[in-house]
Amino acid sequence: MKPKKLAQKTGVMIALIAGACFAGLPVVWMVSSSFKPNTQIFAYPPHLFESDMSWTAYAAIFTDPEKVRFFLNSYLVALSVTAGTLFVGIMGAYAFSRWEFRGKRVLNTLIISVQAIPPITLLIPYFGLIVALGLYNTYWALILTYMVFTLPYAILMLTGYFNTIPRALDEAVMIDGANRFKALWQVIVPVSIPGLVSVAIYTFMQAWNEFLFALTLTKTNNMRTVPIGIQLLMGQHNYEWNQMMAMSILGCLPVLILFLFFQRYFIGGMTAGAVKN
Amino acid sequence: MSTKRRLLDRVTPVAYLSPTLLLMCILMLVPIVLVIGYSFMSNVIMTKESVFVGVANYFKVLKDPVFHEALWNTFVFTVGSVAIHMVLGMVFALLLNSKMISTFTRAFFRVIYVLPWVFTAAIIAILWRLILDPSGVLNYLLRQVGLIHQPIAWLGTTQTAMLALLLINVWAGYPFYMISMLATMQGIPDELYEAAMVDGASPWQQFWNITLPQMRPILLSLGTLDLIWTMQQFPLIWMTTGGGPIHSTEMLSTYTYKLAFNQYQFSMASTSGVVVLIISAALAVVYARTQRAGD
Amino acid sequence: MHTKKIAGLAAAVALATMLTACGTATQPGATSSSGGTVTLEFVQWWEPELPSGALRSLMDQFESENPGIKVDLLSGPYADTQQQVVAGAAAGTLSDVVGLDGAWVSDLVKQGALANLSDLMTQAGFDPSQLGSTVDINGSTYMIPTVNFVYPMFVNNDLLSAAGITTPPSTRTEFAADAKQVTNASNNVYGWVLPLGLDTANGIQNDVMSWVWASGGSMMKNGQPNIAGNADIMSALQFIQQMYNDQVIVPGALSLQEQDKVNNFTNGRVAMMIDSLAHITMIRQANPNLNFSVIPIPAADGYTGTRGIPYASWGIGVSQNSQHPAEAWKLVQFLMNAQNNAKLAELANAFPNNKQAQPDYSTADPVFQEAYQLYQQQTPINEFQGLPTATALMQSFDTEFQKALDQGQSLDQTLTNIQAAWAPSFGTS
Repeated sequence: MKPKKLAQKTGVMIALIAGACFAGLPVVWMVSSSFKPNTQIFAYPPHLFESDMSWTAYAAIFTDPEKVRFFLNSYLVALSVTAGTLFVGIMGAYAFSRWEFRGKRVLNTLIISVQAIPPITLLIPYFGLIVALGLYNTYWALILTYMVFTLPYAILMLTGYFNTIPRALDEAVMIDGANRFKALWQVIVPVSIPGLVSVAIYTFMQAWNEFLFALTLTKTNNMRTVPIGIQLLMGQHNYEWNQMMAMSILGCLPVLILFLFFQRYFIGGMTAGAVKN
Repeated sequence: MSTKRRLLDRVTPVAYLSPTLLLMCILMLVPIVLVIGYSFMSNVIMTKESVFVGVANYFKVLKDPVFHEALWNTFVFTVGSVAIHMVLGMVFALLLNSKMISTFTRAFFRVIYVLPWVFTAAIIAILWRLILDPSGVLNYLLRQVGLIHQPIAWLGTTQTAMLALLLINVWAGYPFYMISMLATMQGIPDELYEAAMVDGASPWQQFWNITLPQMRPILLSLGTLDLIWTMQQFPLIWMTTGGGPIHSTEMLSTYTYKLAFNQYQFSMASTSGVVVLIISAALAVVYARTQRAGD
Repeated sequence: MHTKKIAGLAAAVALATMLTACGTATQPGATSSSGGTVTLEFVQWWEPELPSGALRSLMDQFESENPGIKVDLLSGPYADTQQQVVAGAAAGTLSDVVGLDGAWVSDLVKQGALANLSDLMTQAGFDPSQLGSTVDINGSTYMIPTVNFVYPMFVNNDLLSAAGITTPPSTRTEFAADAKQVTNASNNVYGWVLPLGLDTANGIQNDVMSWVWASGGSMMKNGQPNIAGNADIMSALQFIQQMYNDQVIVPGALSLQEQDKVNNFTNGRVAMMIDSLAHITMIRQANPNLNFSVIPIPAADGYTGTRGIPYASWGIGVSQNSQHPAEAWKLVQFLMNAQNNAKLAELANAFPNNKQAQPDYSTADPVFQEAYQLYQQQTPINEFQGLPTATALMQSFDTEFQKALDQGQSLDQTLTNIQAAWAPSFGTS
């Protein structure tokens, strides 16, 4: 029994490392490129390390207030979108999960399928709409847009999640005198944290990385987000390769830290506990 | 009392849904209705006097051989991506969920595995263009090992461009499915596995009889969403191949983009967009049906 | 119940549509004037391309010379500015002053998004004869190139001399022979590089048609495409196809982009490339040891006429929707006057489009000075400027040429297909 276990463990470990290579090596290459001077990035044969690696690219980003502003904008937008989508999505998903009402199926199907129209087709009328609503070049334009993009997924996933939570739970709370709204926020939401975290991470990432609408719906650099900042480094004639790489690494670090912190919510049987009660 | 109760039951879900409905109606439905309207007009935006032309644009798009190619490529790309996403996501999630590895090691690998997800499409495209270049690091390594003798332009050869694109899209996309699967796996009660172990079930049997059935609903949802999302994937394709070489990676999204922003045929682009919408609506209906059957 | 819902929905949609329409109609451009100060918006991709703060300081100078006018610079990445301009034109929010590429002009004019500059020039009493070139549609000017970037042939002197070549090629035959001699696939060195990536497809303009123009050829006749059976284009494509088949071109041509071309050259992996002079500084910074110079693009054997040299421009135009066209024109005129035009050219490593401008290149790179001499002897040419759907034209040309290179489509067929693909854009389908 014991050697079999050891063999299994080694097998899993080897598979894990192989997968990590697939996932991580391109990123290692990106990190290495961010430290290289722009020419060395294309040197042949390629080297992971060069003698003249430096922090120049990172310094160039930190010392440029305009670039720092891109980061602040991205945080502001992505965090607002996450909060907004969670709030609106929780309410919507709760309605889908707890009530039967006319048109529910149609609405559900609609919500899934509208995400499929290529955003590029919508761009022109959407842009006109945002201008007409007076939201052009505001944070609101981006926040509301990304909420619309991420809500379908949030509602879909949270409906599924709420469905696994027995109705008996809401009813128990309501018997104690709380109304439905209170039951939702004080009981259902806390036991749904793992589901909420994955929706939150998804939402945050979508808002953080979106480019097309971020470019079109804003016009001044003080409203713009990191993906556009990266694209600004791709000139007509000249690419700042190492700065682009550095900027995307700086952009992803906080997200990774966030993930590190929240991943513990995936762990453990929080759901299991709730389902069994 | 009972009528009041019934009325309340009717109004309450609508109240809960109202923020969603408000947002979706104004910001999603209006542009979609406009786009559907455009698709029945002679070229909008470019000409001041655009007229109603019925389904003429649809005939034109559906008859275009490039559109057929784009449709087929989108199918291959989408089905390929979704299949690999699901399998890879599942394998990685199982590995990361393995009880044989210490909690700390798992946490460490989880962060590595999630890495590809945190980058914006532009950077992913640039990074992979660098790696896949004929004088890039992948060709160099393959040549060193002796697997190939001539460098291969992975993105620049009609035979390999689609494969290379699939690789990039799989790399960029799997973490999301992996995380969702992992979260679901960790929601499966331990008691089920403990009972199975008592019955002497092998890990494979446990996977087949417990994990998979428990995950069926989430796999269905993820699969459908992935189909729909991959169908409209644009930035990665545009920034790596632009739909080429020739039309070997032309997709509905690049086809639509070229119509709108290179040829300024906004009506035709809208038409092509509506066709995509119809296909995905059909997918969504199928999805809703399977969901119902599963209940 | 159902009908009511649908009716309600329809009403909501109609309302929103009306809002959109009204918004489009009444949106006062993007300009504002408060307390006698006019604020102009100037959208362009130039600011990130220029030394940090350079464009802003030119604008500051403009503001101090023209009290009461302020300029807001809206800068974006080149690759996406077009999209923004198209969306802005559609929604009527285009900035007062617009940075333009010659390839976009025709369609923006068709949309009615650009103001007629000929009229503005007349009103302001500006003499257009000092301008080197303009982009005209139906006899009126809509875009003025501020500065031009020309595309000569760059040669890596060390690679050529290592292969025993002492004089750079001046005819196509010499070029093909030199390219072959330099190529050493096992060392990853090739003779020429041809970026045919389809997303911008500008390789067709810069790296393919440039051969035709250099030998006095043309793809147009009386404002209509003249491609099917065109012997000049045919011979250029044959020449390129031969090199492609001889494998003296950097592999992966079908998906390479302009940036890849420059990187290959900078790193000594290719001996020759046709490229913008704007890249000189970058190549120098990237590889200070690279020994290179610029030569005219080799011509067809026996050709003795003037050689065309392809160019690209930073064009400028005024939005039709601008509330302050006169002030907007002042800004254009400011950038076009001899002194400022020269300054912009120096900053951008480009050539001024004002013929009286005398930029001081004394501190510029010697290669740049060489190129300036070449430029003055040759005719700058770019037949794609001002053509309708110019990018789409390059894309369809590119696709057909790729079929010839990759799938053995005959060149005759290729030219016929290009002609057919272009026809709808010229209303002759």
